[in-house]
Amino acid sequence: MSEQALSRQALEHLATLGELHEPASYQVDGVVPRLAVAPPSVNALQEILRVASEAGLATVPWAGGTQMGLGNLPRAFDLALDLRRLNAIVQYEPDDLTVAVQAGCTVGELNARLGAHGQMLPLDCATPDRTTIGGLVATGLSGPRRYGYGALRDLLIGITVVLPSGQLSRGGGMVVKNVSGYDMMRLHYAALGSLGVIVQLNFKVIPKPRSERTVIAAYHGLAEASDAALRVRFSQLAPTAIVLIEGRAARAVGLEVPGWIAAVRCEGPQRAVERQADRIAEVVRPATTRLSILEGHSSQQLWSQVASEIGASPLVGAIRVRIGQNPSDLASLACEIKRACSGLAVEVVRWLDIGSGLGYATLCSPHEPDLRRAWERLARLGLHATLLSAPAAIKAGTDVFGREPAGLGVMRALKETFDPNGILNPGRFVGSL
Amino acid sequence: MDRQSLRERLLRVVGPDGVIDDPDELLVYEYDASDEVFAGHHRPDITVLPRTAEQVQEIVKLANEFGLPVTPRGAGTGLAGAALAVRGGILVVMTRMNRVLEINERDGYAVVEPGVINLELSQLTQPRGYFFAPDPASQRACTIGGNVANNSGGPHCLKYGVTSNHILGLEVVLPNGERIWTGGPAPESPGVDLTGVLVGSEGTLGIVTKVMVRLTRVPETVNVLLAAFPDLETASQATSSIIAAGILPAALEMMDQLTIQAVEAAFHAGYPQDAGAVLLIELDGLTEIVVEDAERVAALCHQYGAREVRVARTPRERELLWLGRKSAFGAMGRLSPNYYLVDTTVPRTRLPSTMRTVEELSREYRLRIANVFHAGDGNLHPLILFDRLRPGEVERVLRCTTDILQYCVDVGGTLSGEHGIGFEKRDAMTLIFTTEDLCAMAGLKRSFDPRELFNPEKIFPSGFSCAEVNAVRQQAIAQRLGIEFV
Repeated sequence: MSEQALSRQALEHLATLGELHEPASYQVDGVVPRLAVAPPSVNALQEILRVASEAGLATVPWAGGTQMGLGNLPRAFDLALDLRRLNAIVQYEPDDLTVAVQAGCTVGELNARLGAHGQMLPLDCATPDRTTIGGLVATGLSGPRRYGYGALRDLLIGITVVLPSGQLSRGGGMVVKNVSGYDMMRLHYAALGSLGVIVQLNFKVIPKPRSERTVIAAYHGLAEASDAALRVRFSQLAPTAIVLIEGRAARAVGLEVPGWIAAVRCEGPQRAVERQADRIAEVVRPATTRLSILEGHSSQQLWSQVASEIGASPLVGAIRVRIGQNPSDLASLACEIKRACSGLAVEVVRWLDIGSGLGYATLCSPHEPDLRRAWERLARLGLHATLLSAPAAIKAGTDVFGREPAGLGVMRALKETFDPNGILNPGRFVGSL
Repeated sequence: MDRQSLRERLLRVVGPDGVIDDPDELLVYEYDASDEVFAGHHRPDITVLPRTAEQVQEIVKLANEFGLPVTPRGAGTGLAGAALAVRGGILVVMTRMNRVLEINERDGYAVVEPGVINLELSQLTQPRGYFFAPDPASQRACTIGGNVANNSGGPHCLKYGVTSNHILGLEVVLPNGERIWTGGPAPESPGVDLTGVLVGSEGTLGIVTKVMVRLTRVPETVNVLLAAFPDLETASQATSSIIAAGILPAALEMMDQLTIQAVEAAFHAGYPQDAGAVLLIELDGLTEIVVEDAERVAALCHQYGAREVRVARTPRERELLWLGRKSAFGAMGRLSPNYYLVDTTVPRTRLPSTMRTVEELSREYRLRIANVFHAGDGNLHPLILFDRLRPGEVERVLRCTTDILQYCVDVGGTLSGEHGIGFEKRDAMTLIFTTEDLCAMAGLKRSFDPRELFNPEKIFPSGFSCAEVNAVRQQAIAQRLGIEFV
């Protein structure tokens, strides 16, 4: 939109609808918006979106700002919509194991409230005090714990969204089993806020495990580590996460060994966790160079560090890539990743979420052209590849969501229906929608 | 419509044994498992039975060319009338597409055609240590495609989740005739989660031609407990206490006295006949955990007044305890010529008051109501017994159903837990959704199916239109911009 179009009148009107913030702290890929506003209520947000729609303001919903590395370069960016004031826990029914929470509530605050009743949302989150629940749903970033508990989408039972027209759209409800109407939760999950601004989410919550342990097994090579992890996955044991960590990356999580490490998390009642960890240790023991079991806090700490290593927070001089692949083919994927980086001045560190079927790679280099070439090669690997975060220069001219997904035509039709003026996150979603 | 030319074109696509348009033969396709008294019967103009995805694609293209409605159908076991060709047109019956295409043990998934029977998939994968977790009561007959369309549940979804949690990807023919694969074995394929949107869409957004399902590892140990309580109230309290203790059973089912009597008369499952209610509780997982949880569950049941708790440990004993539950609907024939099944969900803690209300309504409308349901997730199934030939009875059933639905909605529940909205419950949608909510859903529908050919008259209330909302919105915009609204 042009400089003149954002009239003094529209500006003044927006200023009456919410708190104005300093635009410079809302950069997306280096682009600074012209205005940042934090609505105090859903009603105010509805009015802001109506104004933004009429004036054609390119609007980026914003909360904790921890995963802003994800997304294509914005086509335009006029208005940052700060949702952190919409942070109420609207309804919590501990006996029903359900909770309704506004999008701007942080993961930390929500889990503290649930924790007081011995319950939780099983999230992998490195920055619980900043990351918001709405941000996690909009970006769809679920970590290795999805293996045991399902992704966040599987726990989502209701949603309220404000459409660019200002209309409210609700789906689902406050019950754990519901087939009334379309699944609007799935429509908005991981749609990067491109079809509507999420304002409320309802979840089924999980009894908090009374204890946890993590089996750590080190191996000389990837093949042995992968075999061990797959044996666990194929067994009747029920861990909640299984990852393989490259030895060098393990330094980042407080371990230091050459080769590869398998980390297997168990959660539940204490006695059951102890026995399960012992049984898992037996399954992974062959070919280990080191075997240990982490308990309680140190186990938790490890997984929080894993979460921060595979998130989408923007990095300097580095890119982060996520590639989907069958669990049994992840070891070969890791080799392909390494091969793709050969001949380039990049340092690569790989993480494999064997439980879920996702490979992660962090690539560092002072030479942006090499990082760019590496992404171009990685984008072709596996079943699908996503550039989780990258410097803006590398994002130019590429789709960070990798190859064109099947059904892009339907996605385009959805975008045109729900956001006819194209004001929400323009250009940032898949196919530059 | 040129019926003759449509017939010939369809014959060329699916061959002579794949087209049915003889009125006598079409009779069977006028119904599904919904009750005719409530959903009526609706004759499609023509029924086709494709064998391949390419054939489905050709059929959809022909429907577009002729401007005819398309209604997909599996085994026709749905209870909400979603498989009825309410506006005629082409009924596409998927039962001949019944091949299991791939079983991948290593990564735990299978690719099947939509006509594969639910139970057959589990029977096929069981020897390899896997099963398909969704297990609706009709699992001996219903198809995986139908499960996808309805996002089906079943007793075991308490622990394992509903169908949506077990679908990794779909091959689907879209209403414009395009055929695409959504999702896949690895999670987080970029873009809108079309797989998630399609599951539960009741055939209104496309026809699924292949399904990639997650297979679940057969648990190490399974225990089934049967606990007999004096009444529904105490059984409901025990249910809440088990969940509150942080125990997640694989299944937690409740049956009331009327159901127990019917089941015993028909199948002799060995349920205690003097009990006011029984709970059937299945625990599975690691041996150590199951054994420990079984003890805790038994103690909780006793604490809340259970007179008897039996534990089945062998497959044979387990089967017998489950037999009664799985045959409960069939046993209702012992009690009454007709029954109407109401499927709603309430927050678990509202179960006791809801059961009391159902009992009061049963007295008020002079209708016997049997209760057999998924107590663990608050999904109730009052079975209203009636005789359609008795004057005034059908009307009373309808009024009673409306009252039950209204009560469930009032306490924070919903219209359907697992059977779907379909044709039968569509007018109740306004009890839980505003016009704006429904308009957003209609926007979703239109994005897939702009000509509104796919499974018309389903999900949305009869005569529903978004025109009014759009007019109001335009008026609001016009006012703000200072334009005179004509």
